[in-house]
Amino acid sequence: MDGNAELTMSNSTVCCSGDWTAPHIHAIEQRLPGLDWPRTDIAFDLSGVVRMDTPGAWLLCRTFAELRGAGKTVRVQGASEQATQLLEIVQARIGDIPEPPKPYVPGFLENIGIHATSQLRQYRDLLNFIGNLAVVVGQAALRPWRIRGALVVRELELAGLNALPIVGLLSFLVGVVIAYQGGVVLRDYGATLYIADIVGLATIRELGPLITAIIVAGRTGSAYTAQIGTMVVTEEVDALRSIGIPPLEMLVLPKLIALVIALPLLTVFADFMGLLGGMVMANTMLGLNPATYIGRLAEALTISSYLSGVGKAPVFAAIIATVGCFRGFQVFGSAESVGRQTTISVVESIFLVLIVDAAFSVAFSHFGI
Amino acid sequence: MRNEQLAHQSATELTHNDCVVEARDLGVRYGDHRVLDCINVRIRRGEVLAIVGGSGSGKSTLMRQLALLATPTEGSVRHFGDDVAALNEKQLNLLRQRMGVMFQHGALFGDQTVLENVSLPLQEHTRLSQTLIEQIAMLKIAMAGLKPDAAALFPNQLSGGMRKRAAVARSIALDPEILFLDEPSSGLDPISADAIDELVLELRAALGLTVILVTHDMSSLWRVADRILFIANARIAAEGTIAELVGSDNELARDFFHSRRARSAGAADD
Repeated sequence: MDGNAELTMSNSTVCCSGDWTAPHIHAIEQRLPGLDWPRTDIAFDLSGVVRMDTPGAWLLCRTFAELRGAGKTVRVQGASEQATQLLEIVQARIGDIPEPPKPYVPGFLENIGIHATSQLRQYRDLLNFIGNLAVVVGQAALRPWRIRGALVVRELELAGLNALPIVGLLSFLVGVVIAYQGGVVLRDYGATLYIADIVGLATIRELGPLITAIIVAGRTGSAYTAQIGTMVVTEEVDALRSIGIPPLEMLVLPKLIALVIALPLLTVFADFMGLLGGMVMANTMLGLNPATYIGRLAEALTISSYLSGVGKAPVFAAIIATVGCFRGFQVFGSAESVGRQTTISVVESIFLVLIVDAAFSVAFSHFGI
Repeated sequence: MRNEQLAHQSATELTHNDCVVEARDLGVRYGDHRVLDCINVRIRRGEVLAIVGGSGSGKSTLMRQLALLATPTEGSVRHFGDDVAALNEKQLNLLRQRMGVMFQHGALFGDQTVLENVSLPLQEHTRLSQTLIEQIAMLKIAMAGLKPDAAALFPNQLSGGMRKRAAVARSIALDPEILFLDEPSSGLDPISADAIDELVLELRAALGLTVILVTHDMSSLWRVADRILFIANARIAAEGTIAELVGSDNELARDFFHSRRARSAGAADD
């Protein structure tokens, strides 16, 4: 049943046979340009053609057109009724079908320009979004009864409560790692007691808030983008608007409020688990008694260093919620765009969190906190 | 052999051997909910079969079953005489190359242009040169009634009607023997809907195509359908040509085909 398309020439007759169907004409296609065609009158005998489909018919018609263009006459004979019909259909259209449009590829300089303007536009959109959000937050502060409490509680559960296991585990492990790295050095100096200072300060001032923010950016910020982005694609955001509910008030404000509450709480939990991890490691590796460790912690940690850590969390939360939601609204058109914006959302929020964290460090050192 | 493929022959003259798709005692249930029950249908080569029914009657489910997109909970689906439940994935994929499916909302790949969408089946299943593939894709795009400029656009730049046409172009890319169309004319303006009907008839005539379509469009039923399955309450409530169904004494079918819309479509066609 399956035979490749064949083409044989004798005098001015070209005999076509076999299957002139898409899976079977690639060999013929490659041979065609090199063929030595008869001089003037060419008769194509299609009586041997078993099957033909539109690709086969197209290949024949394209050849006919080329031959006619070279000043030859082409006749077709012996074609089955179906093949004739196909050839007619293709022949009727072959003149109207232009070369496939080539996608426009911008040059190097133009690319830079396109990129720059698109970045500029995005920053402008972000500023615009922050401004709108500030208005919504301001309105909510004036009329707090309009805040959707049930949504805030739900977001608190999703972003806060459900994140406890992962935040706890990772902070514990980070505590273990720092205690180990610090302990190796401190043991040589016989200063193992100071492991509590190292683990305590590093965890409370930097790693606790930072690790939590990074986990939440990956876990919750991405979910915000995907959720809002999907709602944009399915026109749910437009539906909200048409019902008279401002999308920012319904979709963004509860998330922002919930995250600003949840992230500091998660950070406290992360601090606790980090210190616990350090304690376990100090006990097993350095033989430091837990009571001694905790006693030393109480001396090393001041309330100002604790607050300087936890105090950063609401700022990080605002960044993550804002970027996550903003990226969701940047989705345009298709599901593919949701995926792209979600990726950008995570990268951007972690990037901004680290930048702001560095800014905090500079500020703290300046003011001697 | 396919050269006896008898586009010109009327569907009713064909013999049993020409049955391309068949459902035997087909049943689908989700938990306790019966979506389809005891469906028996033989679809002959070259036939245009329309599956109609009210919303939620199970007609799209039936199409998904016949198009090998879901497995039945009871009974069997046969393609070209083979029970598809007995085939392995490779054999199923060979069968799938012999059919095209146009989904209701197009299901075009969002990260590819229309041209790339239509070229994809050809690139995957043939060894033709890129130039020829693109030319054939452009031909299919033209056959589906789209302007050549649309080829370079992405699906999200297309209007609803253009998206349907692009989806039709992709579903006929490999010259399928069986074409499944899920609501091809829903959401289209009357002119485009008529053009899709004519396209179906033209393809059937040229390629000996068997067409299975799910539709609500009464004028499509009058224009293109050789036979209609009317699904109600998970079963085939009535079956026959549009004229037979309009004259049917089945109460459900009568209500459906004598609705105000159905009557005006019939009147326009008479």
